[in-house]
Amino acid sequence: MEDFLKKFITKVRRKRRLQYILLLLPAMVYLTIFFMAPFVLTTLYSLNMATKDRQFLFTPSFEWYLHAFEMEGLLTIFLRSIGYGLANTLLCVVLGYPIAYYIAVKCKYRDVILLLFMVPLWVSFLLRTYALMGVLSSSGLLNGVLLGLGIIKEPLEILRTPTAVFIAMVYNYLLFMILPLYANLEKLDISLLEAAATLGAGKISTFFRVILPLSLPGIVAGSLLVFIPTTGEFIIPDLVGGPDTYMLGNVIWLIFLYTRNWNLGSAISILFILFILAIIMVYLKYAGIKEVVF
Amino acid sequence: MKIFDKILKSFTILILILMYLPIATMIFFSFNSTKSLVRFTGFSFRWYSALFQNRIVWGALYNSITVAVVVTLVSIVLALLMANAIVRYEYRGESIIDAFIYIPIVIPEITESLAILILYIFLGFPRGFWGVVLGHATFGATFAVVVLRARIAGLKKSVEEAARTLGADEIQTFFRITLPILMPGVIAAALLVFTLSFDDFIKTTFTRGPGFNTLPLIIYDSAKRGGVSPEINALSTFSFGISLLFSAVRLFTLRRGRYE
Repeated sequence: MEDFLKKFITKVRRKRRLQYILLLLPAMVYLTIFFMAPFVLTTLYSLNMATKDRQFLFTPSFEWYLHAFEMEGLLTIFLRSIGYGLANTLLCVVLGYPIAYYIAVKCKYRDVILLLFMVPLWVSFLLRTYALMGVLSSSGLLNGVLLGLGIIKEPLEILRTPTAVFIAMVYNYLLFMILPLYANLEKLDISLLEAAATLGAGKISTFFRVILPLSLPGIVAGSLLVFIPTTGEFIIPDLVGGPDTYMLGNVIWLIFLYTRNWNLGSAISILFILFILAIIMVYLKYAGIKEVVF
Repeated sequence: MKIFDKILKSFTILILILMYLPIATMIFFSFNSTKSLVRFTGFSFRWYSALFQNRIVWGALYNSITVAVVVTLVSIVLALLMANAIVRYEYRGESIIDAFIYIPIVIPEITESLAILILYIFLGFPRGFWGVVLGHATFGATFAVVVLRARIAGLKKSVEEAARTLGADEIQTFFRITLPILMPGVIAAALLVFTLSFDDFIKTTFTRGPGFNTLPLIIYDSAKRGGVSPEINALSTFSFGISLLFSAVRLFTLRRGRYE
C-alpha cells in the first residue's frame, strides 16, 4: 500500500497533466453532481420520465411541452416576463446612461460616487425589496408624506400593481446597468470629442454620432446583466406585485412547490433555460462571455 | 453647457438619495417606539429586544451562520484547487471549464434550484443542513474561482521559483509562499461567498427540510404574511448590518491587496 502511494506521488510529481487533472477533479466532480446532473434530470422529467414505487418509467415524449404550450395563461406570463424584462432594461438604460456618463466623464469624485452606488448592492435582494415595500405600502412613507402635505386625500394603493413591480425592478437592477456603462465610458477618448467639435459637430450630434455608438458595447453588456435576471425574477412580483404581475419564476415556483407536477414544471423550466441560452448565444456573437459577467 | 452638467449632477444625486431612502427608512423605523412606519415617536430598542427573545430567530441566525461558514470553507478549497489548475496548466478543455464556471452564474437561480430539488428527491438525499450547504456551494465555488483566478494569474512566478531553488518542495512552497501572497484574494473570495450564502433565499427554500429556517426565510415569510412591521425592520437591519460589515471588510482587503 505504502509502496503504491510512493509510486503514485513520484508519478504525480513528474506528470504535469496528471497534476492538472487531480487539481480539477474535486470541483468538477462536485459541479457535475450538484449542477449538471440536476439539469439532466430536469430534462429527463420534461421528456416524460416518471418514478413509481422506486422504479423508473421512461417513455420519451414531448407531451409535457405540448401541455406547457396549451396551458392557459402561460403564454401571457411568458410574454409578460419578456415584456417586463425589456421595459426594465429600457428604463435602466435611460436612467443609468446619464449617471454613468456623469461619473465617467464629468465627475471629480468618481471613486466616492461609485462606492456610494455600490453600497446598496451589499444589501441582499430580498432586503432591498422588503425595504421598498415599507416605502410604498399604504401606511408607508410615501403615502404618509403625500397625505401629510395634503396632495392626496386617500392613500395610494401602489403595492400589488405593475407600477410597484417596475419601481422595484429599477431599484434593484439600475446598478447592473451603471457599472458596465461606466467601465465603457471611462475608456472614452476625449480627443475624439475635440475632433468632432473641430470638425463642426454640435454637442448633440457629437453625442448621437460619436459617444453613443462607441458606448454600444457597454449598453449591450448592461442590458444583458439586467434583462436575464429580470425575466427570471421571483421575489419582486411575489412581494410587491400580485397575481396579475406574476412572471415565469412565480409560475415555476407554484407548479413545483404546490401542484407538484414535475413533468410540466420541468418542461417550462427547460423552455425558459433554452430561451435564456439563446439570448446569450446571440450576445456572444458580439462579445466574449467574460465581459458578460464582469 | 454648464447648465447641462449641473442637471447631470443633480440627477445623479437625486437617484443616489432615492437608492438610499428605502434602506434608511427601514433602519430608522426599526428604532421607533411605536408600530408606526411614518411617524417617529421616540427612540427605542424594544423591537430588537423582542427579536432576541425569539427562539425562532436565534435558530435561524444559527442556521444562517453555520451554513454560510461551511459553504465558504467548501467553496474556497474547491476553488483554490480549480483556479490553480486553470491558471498554471495550459491544457485543452478550457471552454468546458469556462462553461462550468459561468453557466451557474448566468442561469436563473429558480431553475437551478428546482433542478437540485429534483436531484435530492430522486436520490433520496435528505433535505436540511447539508442539502442547503451543497446547494449553495455551486454558486459559492464558481464565484470564488472567478475571484481567485484573477489573483493567481497576477502572481509573480519568480517568487515561487526562488523558493523551489532554495530547496522547498511543492507543498512547502504552496503553504509558505503562494498561499500567504494570495491571502487577500482568498479572504475577499471567502467574504463574498459568505455573504452570498448568508443572503440566499431562493435556493435555500428549495433545498431546506421542513422546519429548517434561515434569516432570509423568516424575513420573507413575515413580509409575505404581514407586510412591513417594526419587528421585521429590526431583523432586516440586523441582517443588513452583518452583510455590510462583511462587504466593507472585503472591499478593504481588496484595496490593500492591490497595492501590495
